[in-house]
Amino acid sequence: MATVPAKIRVYAKKLVQLSLSGGGVSAEQVAAVLLHLEKNPPARLPLILQTYHKLIAVELAKSEARVEHAGPVAADALAAIATSLGKRYSRTVTTVTKPNPALLAGLRVRIGDDVYESSVSSQLAALASAS
Amino acid sequence: MSTVLAQIESQIAKLSSKAVRKNTGVITTVADGVAKVDGLSEVMYNEMVAFPNGVIGIALNLGEDEVGCVVLGDVSQLKQGDEVQTTGKLLSVPVGKGLLGRVVDALGNPVDGKGPVASTEFYPVEKIAPGIMVRKSVSQPLFTGIQAIDSMIPIGRGQRELIIGDRGTGKTTIAVDTIINQAQINRVGLASGDPKFRPVYSIYVAIGQKNSNIVRTIAALEAAGALEFTCIVAAPAADNAANQYLAPFSGAAIGEWFMENGMDALIVFDDLSKHAVAYRQISLILKRPSGREAYPGDVFYLHSRLLERSARLDGKGSLTALPIIETLAGDVSAYIPTNVISITDGQIFLETDLFNQGIRPAVSVGLSVSRVGSAAQIKVTKQVGGKLKGELAQFRELAAFAQFGSDLDAKTRAQLDRGSRIVELFKQPAFNPITIELQAVTIYALQKGYYDSVDLKKVTATAVSIREFFKTRQDALLTEIRTKAALDKDLEAKIIAALDAWKSTQSA
Repeated sequence: MATVPAKIRVYAKKLVQLSLSGGGVSAEQVAAVLLHLEKNPPARLPLILQTYHKLIAVELAKSEARVEHAGPVAADALAAIATSLGKRYSRTVTTVTKPNPALLAGLRVRIGDDVYESSVSSQLAALASAS
Repeated sequence: MSTVLAQIESQIAKLSSKAVRKNTGVITTVADGVAKVDGLSEVMYNEMVAFPNGVIGIALNLGEDEVGCVVLGDVSQLKQGDEVQTTGKLLSVPVGKGLLGRVVDALGNPVDGKGPVASTEFYPVEKIAPGIMVRKSVSQPLFTGIQAIDSMIPIGRGQRELIIGDRGTGKTTIAVDTIINQAQINRVGLASGDPKFRPVYSIYVAIGQKNSNIVRTIAALEAAGALEFTCIVAAPAADNAANQYLAPFSGAAIGEWFMENGMDALIVFDDLSKHAVAYRQISLILKRPSGREAYPGDVFYLHSRLLERSARLDGKGSLTALPIIETLAGDVSAYIPTNVISITDGQIFLETDLFNQGIRPAVSVGLSVSRVGSAAQIKVTKQVGGKLKGELAQFRELAAFAQFGSDLDAKTRAQLDRGSRIVELFKQPAFNPITIELQAVTIYALQKGYYDSVDLKKVTATAVSIREFFKTRQDALLTEIRTKAALDKDLEAKIIAALDAWKSTQSA
C-alpha cells in the first residue's frame, strides 16, 4: 500500500478520536462521523475513508479478544478472560472464539498487537528451539 | 515431606500453565532485505524481532504506523501477511576465546565448517562506548612489524589508526601484517613464561569483500600461524546489506569481551567505505532523508559510535582499531574519508605512485600521522628512529627541488643519498613482519653508516642480511634488546661488535 500523506493520516486520526467513547469505539459516534463526511465531503475522501477504516479496525481489535482453542472452552473461562483483559487494558473487552486444532491443547488469545499463548504446541516449539 | 513435594509440584503447575505474552505485527511489504511491519506497537529501537521460519531481524525505523525492520537472513522465505514477534532482546553475538581460530558471520554463526562455536557468553552488538572516567591514555605500544610504521607512525594499544589509500595500494596487507606480528609476539611472549606479558588477540572484520579475497586473507593468516589468535567476522559482498552493516559492530562486541576481561585486542575493519555504502542502501530503502553523496545524516555517528568503542580501560584491557578506508584517485577530501580521519587518532596514507615505484609498503610519510606520537613507542625505537621522519620529510623536499637543478652542493647530495637509503631500508615484503628488536638493529646500522658503502639498490638486501645474521647468531643480544627496550652504552657496544662481525662475513 502506498504511503498515506501525513495530512490525511492526521485528519483520519482526529476522526477516530471523535469515534471513541469510554475507551472503545462507539457505533453511534462512527455513524455520526460518516454522516458528517457524507454531507461535507473533504478532498480525497476515498483515501480518508480507507485510512479511517484501517484505524478503526485497529481500535476494534484492541477491544476484541480472539480466543483460539484446541478443545472445548467453558463460558465462565471466556468471561474470566474478558474480565482479566478488560482490567489490563482499561476498556471493555469482548471475546470471539475460533477452534484451532494445531494448538494441540490450551489457548491462544489475541488482542490488538498482543498475543497471550498457553498452548502445548508453543511449549513444544520452545522446547525444540532450546534443544 | 509430602507437603513440601506438593508445594513444589503446585509451583511447577503454575509455571507450566503460565501464558506467554508476545507483541506481534504483520508484514506489509518486503523489499531489498527490509520488511515493513504493521503492528509491533511495543517494539524498541534496535530490538531483535522474530520472523517465521527462524529468520530474525532488527527494528530500525519506528514509524507512527509501521515499523521498518532489516532482515538478517533469507528474505525469500518471507511474504506479505506473515506474523512478526518482538523478542525483548537486543541483537547479541557469542564472545570469548572460543571464537579464536574461527570464521563467523555477522551474527556470530560459524561459517568455516568447524562445528559450533565454543562460547557460553553473549555481548550486545550495539553498546555505548566507555566513558571518560574509565579510560586511560594510550601509552603501550602495539607493534605492526612494519618498520616504516613502528619507527615513524607508532600505534598504541587502545588507539584508532586509519589505513587509507586507493585500491590496490596494500591497505589489507598492512592490517594482515599487523595481525601476523601480534601472533608472532604472542608466541614468543607466552613461551617466555613472563607473567607480565599481555598477548594481543585479533579480530578481522571483512565487509563487502569478494569471498576469494577473504579466503586469501584466511590462508595468509593460517600459513603464518596467526589464525589461532584471530577471529574473522565475514560479511562478504554476496551477503545482504544488513549483515554488512552489522558485521563491524559484531566484531567490536567480540573485541570488547577481551578488553572488558583484562586482555588486549586488535580489530581491523576492512573496510568502512563499503560499510557506509551498505548503511546508505539500508537507509534509502527505509526512506530516511539522504544528505551529501546520498548518505544519511547519521553516517558520521555510525562510524564514531563504532570507533569510540576502541579504548584502553583503566584496570582492564584495551581494544585497538585499524579501520580501513578506500579512496578514489587519492581523494582524501571525500565525505567518508574526512569523517573517519576526524574520528581516528591518526592515519597511515598509502600512495599509488609510491606503490608503482616499488616502494612497498607505500606509506606516504608526509601525509601519515599518529596523534598518540612517541607516547606509544619504546625507548629503543625513539633512540634509533626518532629523527627518521624529519630526515625523510627533508629528503622529499630536497628531492623535489633537486629535479630542477644539476649543481648540488656536497651537503645536499649527502642528504639526498641518505634519504634514498632510508626509503630503500623501509621496503618490506608482504606478510613478513619484522620484530621490534630486529627493526632497532636495522635502523641502528643505518645511523652508524653501515649501509653507506653499499650500492643503493643493494640496501634492502643488506638489511635482510643483517637481520638474518642477528637472528641466527645473535639471539641472546636480540633478547637483551627486547627485554631492556632501551639502548645503553654497553648494549650499543655489543650491537656494534655484532655489526662488525657481520661486516667481516661480507668482506670475506
